[in-house]
Amino acid sequence: MNRLWLPFIAVLLLPIDGMSQEADSLAARQLEELVVTATRTERTMGALPMPVNLIPRSQIRTMGSLRLNDVLTEQTGLVVVPQVNGQGNGIQVQGFNPDYTLILVDGEPLIGRNTGSLELSRVAVGNIKQIEIVKGPSSSLYGSDALAGVINILTERPQGTRASIYSRYGTNQTADLTADAGYANDRLGIYVFGNRYSTNGYDLSPQSFGKTVSPFFNHTVSGKVNYKFRPGTELMVSGRYFQEQQQFDFEVATTPTDKVRTSGQGATQEWNLNPVLTHRFSNRFKLTARFYSTHYNTATNLNLASDNTLYYHDDFQQTFIRPEVNGEYYFNDRNILTVGAGHIDEHVQTSRYGDEAVRKQSTSYGFFQHEWKPWAPFTLIAGGRFDCNTVYGSQFSPKLSARYEISPKFTLRLSGGLGFKSPDFRQLYFNFNNSAAGGYSVLGAEIVQERLAQMDQQGLIQTYYFDPAVLGKLDAERSTAINTGFRYEWKPGHTAELNLFHNSINNLIETQIVAATTAGQNIYSYRNIKRAFTEGVETNMGFPLGKGFTFSLGYQLLFAMDKDVLESVRNGAVYYRDPVTLTTRRLKPSEYTGLYNRSRHMGTVKLFYQSENKRWSGSVRVVYRGRFGIGDIRGNIQGETIPSSDRDNNGILDKYDSFVSGYALVNLSAARTFGSRLRVQAGVDNLLNHKEPIFIPNLPGRLMYASISYSIQQTNKP
Amino acid sequence: MKYASVVLTVVAFSVMLASCSKSDPTPASLSAVTFKNLAADPPSGGYDPNNGQPIGVTQKFTFFSFKTGAVVSNADSASSKWDIGFRGTTIIVNSGTSGPGTAAALVVTGVFDELNAAPDNGYLQDDKASATAPYAIPKGSGKGWYNYDPATNVISPVAGRVIMVQTADGKYAKVEILSYYKDAPAAPTNTSVDRYYTFRYVYQPDGSKKLQ
Repeated sequence: MNRLWLPFIAVLLLPIDGMSQEADSLAARQLEELVVTATRTERTMGALPMPVNLIPRSQIRTMGSLRLNDVLTEQTGLVVVPQVNGQGNGIQVQGFNPDYTLILVDGEPLIGRNTGSLELSRVAVGNIKQIEIVKGPSSSLYGSDALAGVINILTERPQGTRASIYSRYGTNQTADLTADAGYANDRLGIYVFGNRYSTNGYDLSPQSFGKTVSPFFNHTVSGKVNYKFRPGTELMVSGRYFQEQQQFDFEVATTPTDKVRTSGQGATQEWNLNPVLTHRFSNRFKLTARFYSTHYNTATNLNLASDNTLYYHDDFQQTFIRPEVNGEYYFNDRNILTVGAGHIDEHVQTSRYGDEAVRKQSTSYGFFQHEWKPWAPFTLIAGGRFDCNTVYGSQFSPKLSARYEISPKFTLRLSGGLGFKSPDFRQLYFNFNNSAAGGYSVLGAEIVQERLAQMDQQGLIQTYYFDPAVLGKLDAERSTAINTGFRYEWKPGHTAELNLFHNSINNLIETQIVAATTAGQNIYSYRNIKRAFTEGVETNMGFPLGKGFTFSLGYQLLFAMDKDVLESVRNGAVYYRDPVTLTTRRLKPSEYTGLYNRSRHMGTVKLFYQSENKRWSGSVRVVYRGRFGIGDIRGNIQGETIPSSDRDNNGILDKYDSFVSGYALVNLSAARTFGSRLRVQAGVDNLLNHKEPIFIPNLPGRLMYASISYSIQQTNKP
Repeated sequence: MKYASVVLTVVAFSVMLASCSKSDPTPASLSAVTFKNLAADPPSGGYDPNNGQPIGVTQKFTFFSFKTGAVVSNADSASSKWDIGFRGTTIIVNSGTSGPGTAAALVVTGVFDELNAAPDNGYLQDDKASATAPYAIPKGSGKGWYNYDPATNVISPVAGRVIMVQTADGKYAKVEILSYYKDAPAAPTNTSVDRYYTFRYVYQPDGSKKLQ
């Protein structure tokens, strides 16, 4: 792999001199609670008008997490939702599907989604400085399509001279080896990071051949180099390379009762490179230019075990290039203006679209954000973004947020914004045919008419369920979001936060059944058919208990519903079949549960410990996810069909349907540091060994691990 | 004054009560009848694992008469003795291209117990030549009385679908299909024995549209 050693170079977005890293006293920790994502410049947590959750490195270390999904799954209100095959597990934020949350590394988006979900386990956490989660579309700086929110992973910056090595081994032969090293002087900083992760996978249904998650291993190499040409002018180049290989051996259902054994390989590669040049023209004006480019490709081949002929092939590659310039102007302490413009070029080439033709889309955009403090306790941030897409024309999405400090302890927040998400490549060009049992085809909006006309001519269409003339033009999905709440810090480190949210989404793109073939296979396409809303409350509370213990509590109440369904239920036009008598009754509005895969109640309870001499640390974390419904899943997993929750046959989720019951995961960890260099950690995730083989394939059961790390650090700045 | 109003109230009530009992003799209310396990050409040899096709089916309909509340012999297929017929998921009415009678049907949406009168019009006869409505009770998942789940291969009656029938002798009935599986299991799977109908109906023998 020639790509493996890309030149890794990079710059501090905003140098903060004299900030000591890794100092763990309470005061220092508070200093460190700076958030970049919401405004793109560093702000203290409390000073932001939008809801932001922050996960610092120290917490990630104590939790013993290895991959991004391990960390996110323990956060209030976030759910790592499984895909049918246990791969491509995306994140649900405020009840939104994974498509609507941007995953950024140092402010730049990761690409390579599978049916809208980004596989979170692609991201190693060993080089993460902190993770910031901004909910709601309240920031216009990263793109309008993040209707649900933005998860920004900030990686370690070159600081001091340091090196560390970490090794962990656990259940399922999961092994992780991580090493990093850094060097910094007044002008030059270098940081490199390497990781190897491998696992033997796991099998939740041993009665059938093949594993739930097949064995795989991956490598990550990343780095940053920054160079200060002179005070105020810096270049930072950061880069990342990832590659993964997976070995498959499983059965594929060819008819309702027949299966064939297949084996093969899957390979994924990804790289990104991001040079950022920052120049401070004066104390007031700073200009940043960046050129982000990233590439992702994946390919899977499955051969029949019987004669070793090719049974299934899938490949997908995507390139994303984004130059951007933004300027920040400090008029005075009360007025800060950020203005930026950029251009995105995106290419996709895949077998999933029926040919290997290159599909392109490009967007030019401009944004502004003005932070205004008319008087000391009040902050107003107004922003807007203008996108001009080659396929979808232009869109403007404004955002507004405000913060009012009633007292130094008590702050009110309000933010609102409009967002839009243009249809993705898949919704436009998909040309997918599942020939296995109960087969079906999915055709993207751009090709559906042409393909249907062809099939009709060949006499393959049995019936039309939907007029194909109406198909073919997709509009952008639109959302309106409001977040409001307060933050109360009654003592330093003692905080309580509450956030009420409401997201109203129109023009949601859903699959629409269009026709059936003479062979009895259904043909689906995409349409803007759905209107939905998600609303609820999120509350988080945390405080030290003394003697080194810190306690935190989080809870989210969520209502996520289809507006049209709710309207029909209110009009008395929705029925259900009584599961006992099988007779029809009319559904009451209070009996409608809402969208599938959403839990009404979720919560976390965590206790962290660090001894006064810092030798011992540990944690007990309990993550609860309330019951939820499963629907709209086609196919089967490991030879077992996934029954729909819709037990009463009315096509919606209500009180009389079957649900996946709520569950709690209990995770424990403990670590001992010897001297300042050697650290030993052991832990158990999912202590109660909760498993749900069919409905939650991404939950592997109880995992035990032990790790050892050795680090040397020499901070050359005070 | 006070006294007078009390008297008036008492008189008024007695008049109301009297008039009620006189003009509304309680009619013999019709009750719903449930018919269990009507065999609709079940495959004697199960299903072919290779193509999912049924083995050992007769391709014959099972006929039903609301008047007698019983299955009508297949030998009487060319008569007006039956109202509706079942074969697999297909339900026919005795008229047009399906039989010599004049039966007709209409699928409506609502709650069985609340639909107290048969609609005045809208009934269709079977007409295979028709491009839009070859059957009075439409065939296909989601179109008529059932939904088909391709993932589980399970046929389930759509909640809130009631079949209004004009019988072969011009009477009215309403029908709700409860199950497509033998002994009407609450949660059928793809291994449940299918092509056995359980349904409930109300039949009005007096020729009126009142179904209560």
